[in-house]
Amino acid sequence: MNLKISALDFVQQVQNGDISAEDFVAETIQRIQKIDDDLHAFLSVNDDAINQAKSIDKKIKSGEKVGACFGMPISIKDNMCIKNSKTTCASKMLENFVAPYDATVISKLKQQDAIFIGKVNMDEFAMGLTTEFSAYGPSKNPWNPEYVPGGSSGGSAVSVSAFECVASLGSDTGGSVRNPASFCSVVGYKPTYGLISRYGLISYANSIEQIGPLTRTVKDTAFMLNMIAGLDSNDNTTIDNKNEDYLSGIDSGIEGKKIGIITEMIGDGIDSTVLSATKDAISKLEGLGATCEEVSLDMVKYSVAAYYTITATEAGSNLARYDNLRYGYEFPVEGYEFNSYISKARQKFGPEVTRRMIIGGFVPSAGHAGKYFLKAMKVKSKLIKEINEAFKKFDLLIAPTVPVLPFKLGEKINDPVSLFLIDINTVTANLTGKPAISVPFAISNGLPIGMQLFANSNEDKLLLQAACALESTVKLPEVPI
Amino acid sequence: MVTEKEIEHVSKLMKIDVDDHTEYVDKVQKMINYFDILDSAGVESEEISMPEISLESLRKDEHVAFDDKLIEKLNHYKGTYVRAPKMSS
Repeated sequence: MNLKISALDFVQQVQNGDISAEDFVAETIQRIQKIDDDLHAFLSVNDDAINQAKSIDKKIKSGEKVGACFGMPISIKDNMCIKNSKTTCASKMLENFVAPYDATVISKLKQQDAIFIGKVNMDEFAMGLTTEFSAYGPSKNPWNPEYVPGGSSGGSAVSVSAFECVASLGSDTGGSVRNPASFCSVVGYKPTYGLISRYGLISYANSIEQIGPLTRTVKDTAFMLNMIAGLDSNDNTTIDNKNEDYLSGIDSGIEGKKIGIITEMIGDGIDSTVLSATKDAISKLEGLGATCEEVSLDMVKYSVAAYYTITATEAGSNLARYDNLRYGYEFPVEGYEFNSYISKARQKFGPEVTRRMIIGGFVPSAGHAGKYFLKAMKVKSKLIKEINEAFKKFDLLIAPTVPVLPFKLGEKINDPVSLFLIDINTVTANLTGKPAISVPFAISNGLPIGMQLFANSNEDKLLLQAACALESTVKLPEVPI
Repeated sequence: MVTEKEIEHVSKLMKIDVDDHTEYVDKVQKMINYFDILDSAGVESEEISMPEISLESLRKDEHVAFDDKLIEKLNHYKGTYVRAPKMSS
């Protein structure tokens, strides 16, 4: 059984009767059992997955209508609710939390006969970009287990890259889908803000975060998007995509398209191999008939500070609900005064979450809001103006997803500011609401480099077409695991 | 420069009680000091733009029954109430 096939190939092979969903899912679980002790992508595995695959095979045999996934095994970042399943957010605070309802993306995929093979690792409450802040230990990069897989959707990227599932859902607040996709050599997508419902996604920074797929190919991303995008009455920020078919015309190419190269994202601090890969990508896009020209987005320099200020503020508010009174871990209330009980209970938050809670209380507080939060919001507004101006001239923008190569586990964990700067090329898409995609582009000294393309809001289809064109220019080696 | 005292004060307001105080204060201080870069952005005159959703676009504010007995899933549910610690007098 070949577990290394794309989602579209899986669907076709099951549909044709070449493979059964049951066999594929059973082998996938065997692979997880064999390699996941070393990679630690999964926090929990679905014990009922094989039975679910069996019933899908039965439906196929009896000629019943089967959903578009045909029993495809998908991993889900552990901050999305699956009814009656544990949803820990990789936190000790939610160690035994069992979700009482399905997130909208989960309901939609269930209707399409997807199989949720397991819940995958992440930085606690999605705060981090290496998966080292998971309360259950870090995930490892399948390209070299001494290196970080990126984050916060590290488990998602590892599980797709190491063939422990066919596709995954992650969430992207400042690059949390694209960064691990780049570090693990898979495709990672952050859609236009509002394209995918956040109902059932445990909140971190609502105003900018989005759920996004991680897949082996760009076409698989389009396939996933077809199933999960669109209006949701449970999330008022969703937008009507008029049931767009993101797969149709995906091979249209990019001839005649104008692409802006964001100068602030290829400047100081960029690794020379990443810069060289970027130049190579630009020349390949030109070879496909696009024209590329530099463009400056001055506010990018301030975007990381603005991003952390805004997200910490929203996190400070969102995480205030974790008082351990209504849900949380087993910790009796007797003998405690109200405030001291909550403070004591919150000791279960890991170090990064604790730090961001403190920052989230500080930056919007009286006396400090003008210096931090309001300025961050102004930077965000100006960045939106700048990027909108750029999209008057260009169809797409390009920059490397991450300016550096994957680094070793533990290398940056004690230096929060150096970790901040890893986000410099990804936060712009979140702050401006624009769609962005990371496409696997090169391998340097055994470590992956992803290339990032951006499009204007609601131009997700164009973005996927361009990403598909870029993807077609490279043939990368297989992950050595 | 953010002072240690200010950070400790905010931690208390956020109901955060940490064992190794110095380690937290030091890192939080570094992170907040990095945000000083916002002072050079020259955005003082910029207006903050906020997305707007019209009232008509919002779903109706009405009760939607949940099929499970959600209240029974609460952590400290005692039949008719959620048990909380005593408030200080």
